[in-house]
Amino acid sequence: MSRLAILTFCAGLLIAGTATAKPGDAAKGKEIYDKRCTWCHGADGDGAGAAKELLNPPPRDFTSGNYKIKSSSFEDMVPNDDDIYRMIRDGMPGTAMPGWSDILKEQDMWNLVAYVKTFAGYDEPPAAQVDFGKQVASSGESIAKGRKLYEEGDRCVECHGKSGKGSASKRLKGDAGERTWPRNLTKPWTFIGSSEPKDIFARLSTGIAGTEMPSFADPRSKKKLSIEERWHVANYVASLAKTGRKVDAENTVIKADKVEGDLPGAPDDARWEKSTPTTFYLVPQLIAEERYFKPSNDTITVRALYNDKAVAMLLEWDDRTRSVPGDEAAEKLADAPIAEDGVAVQLPVTIPKGMEKPYFGMGDAKHPVNIWHWQSGAKDATESMGLANSRGFREIEKRDAVVAGLKANASYSDGTWKVLITRPLTTSSPDKDIQFAEGKFIPVAFAAWDGSNNSEKGSKHTMTTWYWLLLKPATGTRPLVAALMVMGLLAGGLLWWARSAKPAA
Amino acid sequence: MTMTQKRRIPRLLQFALVVFGVYFGFILVFDVLLGQLIPRSLLTMYMVFVVSGALMTFTFTEEGAQELVAPIKALVEDPSRRRLRNAVFVMVPLLAGYYTYTSMLPGYEAPVELRTIHPAPPSKFKAYGKSYNLATLENPYRKYQKQDPAKYRELVKAGGDVYIKNCQYCHGDKLDGKGPYAAGLNPTPINFQDVGTIAQLQESFLFWRIATGGPGLPAEAAPWISSMPVWEHFLTEKETWEVILFLYDYTGRQPRSWK
Ligand code: HEC
Ligand code: HEC
Ligand code: HEC
Repeated sequence: MSRLAILTFCAGLLIAGTATAKPGDAAKGKEIYDKRCTWCHGADGDGAGAAKELLNPPPRDFTSGNYKIKSSSFEDMVPNDDDIYRMIRDGMPGTAMPGWSDILKEQDMWNLVAYVKTFAGYDEPPAAQVDFGKQVASSGESIAKGRKLYEEGDRCVECHGKSGKGSASKRLKGDAGERTWPRNLTKPWTFIGSSEPKDIFARLSTGIAGTEMPSFADPRSKKKLSIEERWHVANYVASLAKTGRKVDAENTVIKADKVEGDLPGAPDDARWEKSTPTTFYLVPQLIAEERYFKPSNDTITVRALYNDKAVAMLLEWDDRTRSVPGDEAAEKLADAPIAEDGVAVQLPVTIPKGMEKPYFGMGDAKHPVNIWHWQSGAKDATESMGLANSRGFREIEKRDAVVAGLKANASYSDGTWKVLITRPLTTSSPDKDIQFAEGKFIPVAFAAWDGSNNSEKGSKHTMTTWYWLLLKPATGTRPLVAALMVMGLLAGGLLWWARSAKPAA
Repeated sequence: MTMTQKRRIPRLLQFALVVFGVYFGFILVFDVLLGQLIPRSLLTMYMVFVVSGALMTFTFTEEGAQELVAPIKALVEDPSRRRLRNAVFVMVPLLAGYYTYTSMLPGYEAPVELRTIHPAPPSKFKAYGKSYNLATLENPYRKYQKQDPAKYRELVKAGGDVYIKNCQYCHGDKLDGKGPYAAGLNPTPINFQDVGTIAQLQESFLFWRIATGGPGLPAEAAPWISSMPVWEHFLTEKETWEVILFLYDYTGRQPRSWK
């Protein structure tokens, strides 16, 4: 048993540990590069592939010599071969850069490392490495120290915001001129260089080349941190993870519990804590009209409750900026022209009986959808709740949200929007509005706009495909009664059988 | 003869082994190997077939049937097994009650949506303002593969650029169906590396699918949930044929042809 454990442990180490550098053959690397990598990184390694303008972050310009994820000292731009190898093998989450280990052999990837380095003329290994000192294990105490250092003098808050969601107070740019958004530290699964404390320590020590994320090991920095302090901050960052907000691909149903009495009227009502959250990916609108390629919103979390009169949906998503057109501070942070933030819920006008649903992109000629569209407002205009019926992208009929009984109540705080939308279960125009019914699986889809990012507006937004909303019917006593009946019948039958069986001779 | 009889696994146990074996087989193949949770309702349906099938085989002959029920009969009739019998008689109703209770609780599992991935194409379709006949439609640029390899490489390169600008978000830059946004889409984008996709299809089929997208699908393929865009709105006819050349070239597959 213990031998087996040791064996598996060793195998685990082999898989998880960083690979040891192997000499690569740049000429062989070029062959693979020309087939697989030129599309994005360009034949000359300058990042000028065909999709350069459509991707953010853009494909790396290898001639710049910038490597974001490295374990060599901040003083030396040259990364270790292991660092490059690791990015090629595992890819970079949240970017167009995929991991290649499933189609390339290990030696191929080492050959690529050798070739990619030639673009910046890197032929010597780095002169100095990150000094990891002695790792400080995570503990309540270390996390508290890390938090203090994180907030002190706005050290990290300036960019990552107090809650770590990246609600910046500064407009940031990358070396290639691209807009960069500080990472949302509550979503460590979006880190491009892993969220292990050791990796976070390395990022704090080296900074992220080609972006404004600085090195905190640099003695010239006013915000400099000692080795021990960096471990505390790394432990604090690792503790910020909100794993409850991660997408669970199996969970495609928003389950609305029935409540007695009034529904919560505010997004921060404590009763929401008890309802079940469901999180979905938001993907950019790539299918019609003006398409959208550089999103900033990545997920939306939905909760729902209902009573015998109305249904309430709480939509929650991280958005680094509160986009207020007309407000000077907001406009300074935003890509011009700034637009309102917003969110929309899409529901079929008629709950489908069979499989057939409206087209997920705003319905179709035969199957209209309701669209509830909330917008955050401008400096001189309050937030608004809109209602439209549509049969596809082009056939949109604006309707009166007040008549349909739609109400919204929103809050924005430190990088998170929460919008509560309520509507009566039924309305006076059943041919135009969805009539909610208990126990039915109702298709539902969402869209979101970040008006500060890339001028999201109109068809430029993020969205989901169809998921389900279920108003959970109360359980009632039927299952219990049925179970008792089955038990009674079965027990009776067995007894009768035992009685009537003649004992074996 | 008696020796082998003695050694044989009791028939009741055989029966149980077969049923459980098949059950775990399903779970292994679907959940573990294919990584696709088998819906409960579907599993229940399959298991009903399996149990009734097994019952029929096991009770095919009179002796077979008797052998199957013998241990059960013995349990009830043999006084020396009274204790075991009492235990079983308490357990069985309890289990049945529990099962009834849980299965009567309202279910929150999403309805299963079955769709045909490669439906039969129409014989004719409209795109780019004209009508195409799928039976005779061919890639007008395929011939350069043999006639003019240099020109062919150029066309493939142009197709690759079309792909990276338009398709990789969903189908992935490795053409494996795992683009950056694939996880947010259901049904998931097609994996072109898979032998079951483009290698089984004619180029005309791909042209139809790309030009008309999700909304161009017939009802059995659930066009309302497919996020595949209608590319006649964004790409020229030539670009569509070029991207098709690229799909085959990158994956090293050949289009299916009837010749
Ligand atoms: C679909 C586009 C795409 C393709 C194809 C692609 N990359 Fe990338 N790659 C990117 C993007 C985008 C980035 C920048 C990510 C960032 O800056 O966060 C990147 C970054 C990198 C980096 C920088 C890692 C670092 O630490 O900064 C390396 C090395 C790299 N790619 C290697 C490759 C190799 C080798 C191939 C071919 C096998 C390849 N890429 C194919 C899009 C692509
Ligand atoms: C001047 C702005 C700025 C400051 C100050 C700053 N960061 Fe960052 N940080 C960024 C940006 C921008 C990125 C994203 C870089 C990119 O686009 O890849 C980032 C990324 C990160 C990442 C993600 C690494 C990965 O693997 O993806 C971590 C962790 C992080 N920062 C932690 C910190 C901590 C902790 C501090 C304070 C000690 C800090 N940052 C201070 C701007 C900043
Ligand atoms: C928004 C995501 C998205 C984009 C972008 C996209 N596709 Fe698709 N595509 C899908 C999905 C999802 C499917 C599977 C559902 C279906 O068959 O309609 C699919 C299916 C296909 C099929 C059918 C394959 C088969 O085996 O039947 C082809 C061919 C195809 N896509 C080609 C392309 C090409 C070429 C592009 C770029 C010009 C592209 N797709 C862009 C999502 C996308």
